[in-house]
Amino acid sequence: MVQLVGSLRKELAESLYTCKVLVVGAGGIGCELLKNLVLTGFKNIEVIDLDTIDVSNLNRQFLFQKKHVGKSKAQVAKESVLQFCPSANITAYHDSIMNPDYNVEFFRKFMLVMNALDNRAARNHVNRMCLAADVPLIESGTAGYLGQVTVIKKGLTECYECQPKPAQKTFPGCTIRNTPSEPIHCIVWAKYLFNQLFGEEDADQEVSPDTADPEAAWNPEEAAARASASEKDGDVKRVSTKEWARSTGYDPIKLFNKLFKDDIMYLLTMDKLWKKRKAPTPLDWTQLENKASPPEESPASGLKDQQVLGVWGCCQLFKHSVETLRSELREKGDNAELVWDKDDPAAMDFVTSAANLRMHIFSMNMKSRFDVKSMAGNIIPAIATTNAIIAGLIVLEGLKILSGELESCRTIFLNKCPNVRKKLLVPCVLDPPSKNCYVCASKPEVTVKLNVQKTTVLSLQDRILKERFGMVAPDVQIEDGKGTILISSEEGETEANNSKYLSDFGIRNGSRLQSDDFLQDYTLLINVLHTEELERDVEFEVVGEAPDKAPPPQSNPEEVNSITNGNKDSAQPSTSSKAPADEDDLMIVDSDEEEGAPSSSATVTSGTKRKHSDLDSDKSSTKRPRTDPSAAAGDEDDDIIALD
Amino acid sequence: MIEKEDPIISEEEAAQYDRQIRLWGLDAQKRLRGSRVLLAGLGGLGAEVAKNLILAGVKGLTLLDHEQVTEESCRAQFLVPVSARGQNRAQASLERAQNLNPMVEVHADPGRVEDKPDDFFLQFDAVCLTGCSRDLMVRVDQLCSQHRIKVFCGDVYGYYGYMFCNLGQEYSYVEEKPKVVKPSGDSSDGPGAKKAKVDPNETTMVKKTASFCTLKEALEVDWTTEKAKAALKKTPVDYFLLHVLLKFRTDKGRDPDPQSSEEDGELLRQIRSDVLDALGLSASLLNDDFISYCFSEMSPVCAVVGGVLGQEVVKALSQRDVPHRNFFFFDGRKGHGMVDYFGPN
Repeated sequence: MVQLVGSLRKELAESLYTCKVLVVGAGGIGCELLKNLVLTGFKNIEVIDLDTIDVSNLNRQFLFQKKHVGKSKAQVAKESVLQFCPSANITAYHDSIMNPDYNVEFFRKFMLVMNALDNRAARNHVNRMCLAADVPLIESGTAGYLGQVTVIKKGLTECYECQPKPAQKTFPGCTIRNTPSEPIHCIVWAKYLFNQLFGEEDADQEVSPDTADPEAAWNPEEAAARASASEKDGDVKRVSTKEWARSTGYDPIKLFNKLFKDDIMYLLTMDKLWKKRKAPTPLDWTQLENKASPPEESPASGLKDQQVLGVWGCCQLFKHSVETLRSELREKGDNAELVWDKDDPAAMDFVTSAANLRMHIFSMNMKSRFDVKSMAGNIIPAIATTNAIIAGLIVLEGLKILSGELESCRTIFLNKCPNVRKKLLVPCVLDPPSKNCYVCASKPEVTVKLNVQKTTVLSLQDRILKERFGMVAPDVQIEDGKGTILISSEEGETEANNSKYLSDFGIRNGSRLQSDDFLQDYTLLINVLHTEELERDVEFEVVGEAPDKAPPPQSNPEEVNSITNGNKDSAQPSTSSKAPADEDDLMIVDSDEEEGAPSSSATVTSGTKRKHSDLDSDKSSTKRPRTDPSAAAGDEDDDIIALD
Repeated sequence: MIEKEDPIISEEEAAQYDRQIRLWGLDAQKRLRGSRVLLAGLGGLGAEVAKNLILAGVKGLTLLDHEQVTEESCRAQFLVPVSARGQNRAQASLERAQNLNPMVEVHADPGRVEDKPDDFFLQFDAVCLTGCSRDLMVRVDQLCSQHRIKVFCGDVYGYYGYMFCNLGQEYSYVEEKPKVVKPSGDSSDGPGAKKAKVDPNETTMVKKTASFCTLKEALEVDWTTEKAKAALKKTPVDYFLLHVLLKFRTDKGRDPDPQSSEEDGELLRQIRSDVLDALGLSASLLNDDFISYCFSEMSPVCAVVGGVLGQEVVKALSQRDVPHRNFFFFDGRKGHGMVDYFGPN
């Protein structure tokens, strides 16, 4: 009989005493994880989180109380843990893990790194740092009732980026600007509108009717003629929305009439759009005011936010929020910009009212502020129990790693209902690294399709290298025999290149760009494939992303659900005033909600790229997990051979 | 038994419970808010369940535990302060438990479950027993189910854990299903049509019922019938492991102790053979592996089992979503968690 210290064998218990571990994130999973670690006997723990505590965290982040709202999560988590385990040695960092201070040397200090994150960018980054430092990483995620844990070990398992993950869902410009058909289109429009009026203007966030809509099949000269025939602003694009709004002093009624009457009437002149669609109906402020009935008694039960306002109610909300935002803007001074924040009441009111008015115009049922907030804020519902379960599983995997039992590590899926083999928690054997992985393969290479004459250096840096390929501070050299430096991570050095096009540097079809992120110890060779034929609104395409395994047969979208890995717009914390999104990330999870969902024994191919575009999906709300025909989470049963 | 719902949900509750209301809905939250739960045993598992229920926002939670805080208890759970040695475990856990959510009424009771009169249990909507002997659980389960009180049992033994529930013979609940959008009969709807669009994400609540047996029935399955023998292949062995551990607890009045791992290991081996023999089953059904891994309450295992158990209590109180029927077994070595039904059909 082995010697035991509590539940653990003596050697294991002793190793917990000396080893150092890192927890990245002190939120839903992080709080539960810290508690489990100290109670299991881990003595030396470092925890990092850039976020501060918000009241909506308190339903699950149990290390925090109401009095802690506004304080640093990492700091308060440490203090709370020390309360019940004073002998633990905990270091807390109120910082971003992407800060270059946390270099490979920093990561090498640890025997184990555990992610408790909620966004893809940070996950990609930690993935690379752990590969560079050769430290085992336990990755995890939760959303609602679902969760997942997996182990990443360089050379032994797939890394976090071996399987392509579905990209953030976007909608084509004309759907947003001309032909919305779902509430989410109207909500995205309203958020764009917020930025155009009060925030940072973005050329990709146009709200005025899109005269270049191919579906309208319009003759531009005709367009001008029609435009001058319509009542107000002839050229809807000449003056920027913000300038125009300023010129009216942000008069809510003038704004209302332009957005919800004039622009709609303009759209109506694009008659081809309405041949097969129900045409929008413009609104008139005065008419609505005259028709307005006395406000309904607010019902006694239910959340105020869950009521759906009537049209006139929306008008009033629109007016009030514009007035409030206008004063906020004035208070900030000249050239001020507001940043959209779902927790800012006026900003949320504005989006709620503007989106609803647009929904009404386009014959959609209006939504409550509660629902709009979910969609606009990318809120993922979260509870304590799911996080508790996942955090427990993380520690169990950690113990296997520390015992040198890597071969017994598993990916474990937590489902809402048991599968046909009665499993609620489904362990799956880990996959080996993907040979084509553009991160962990020995000399990663990738081919990117773009238009060298239309892609700027800045675009390459921000959209491609940072957003798409997860680099934080890229350095790019052209393989032109001269080693021309295109982008330098040193501030200011190559800023002059930003607005130039790639072709200006002689980059053309077949050119190769060597991109490095020194912090991540990561080099990626990009082969440029020049094209002039990209889909509308698509700036570039990564070629040859077929996963290692053949895609599984198309299954009923309701049988298998998947949850995206992160569409956080930036690495900003979820509750800071800067962050637009709040979401708990999750890798692909199988959810057998439908009766008789086949629990095939195929191993999970997370993030299988779908052939059909997201635009065709009729799932508009981010409340529901998106569907993905990836295989059901496999079973570990020894007598079942994993199929591809 | 659920108190008449107070229709108003306060600003404070709406703000704090926002992320869970978005998951299970306002109705469910209100039902939780009207429920009283009894939790017996504040060991590692008990503390996890307490945390989960308090955070969920039940009306009241009574912590019932007659044990005293020992050095081990401080390591096992996070509600008891290190300075509380010698105090009653329920009372020592009270402050931290209450601080998790001031909106819940948390009480501490230093009594013994077995000493409580029958009508003590009647004030609760749900009863959750941890660390109790088999006979005690069977008795309380019998009593509570007669009065339509929902019963939950759970324990953690080292890397292993289980949860059992009895929600009564006729348990009704609702399940959220996507609304089936009927195709509009009139496909010639042109721009003149007035109909508003149906949001494809709309869902509808479907009423369902399920039937649960008593713990006694669940534990006394007859394995000698042909049918049972055939089902054996698909039966999680954890069920039999549970029998072994419950017998150990009955015989020794405690759980396997790391301090006496040698003798306890021997005893477990013996009990394993006895139990399987008494059930008419082969001793090879449960091999020796489990013996070194069922000591003490492992914190991560308490977290997993406590999470599942806590969520089942929430589901049952809110009468929403398909309950796990009627056992959940967790094997922390293998990483699988299984749900299975044991009892009469």
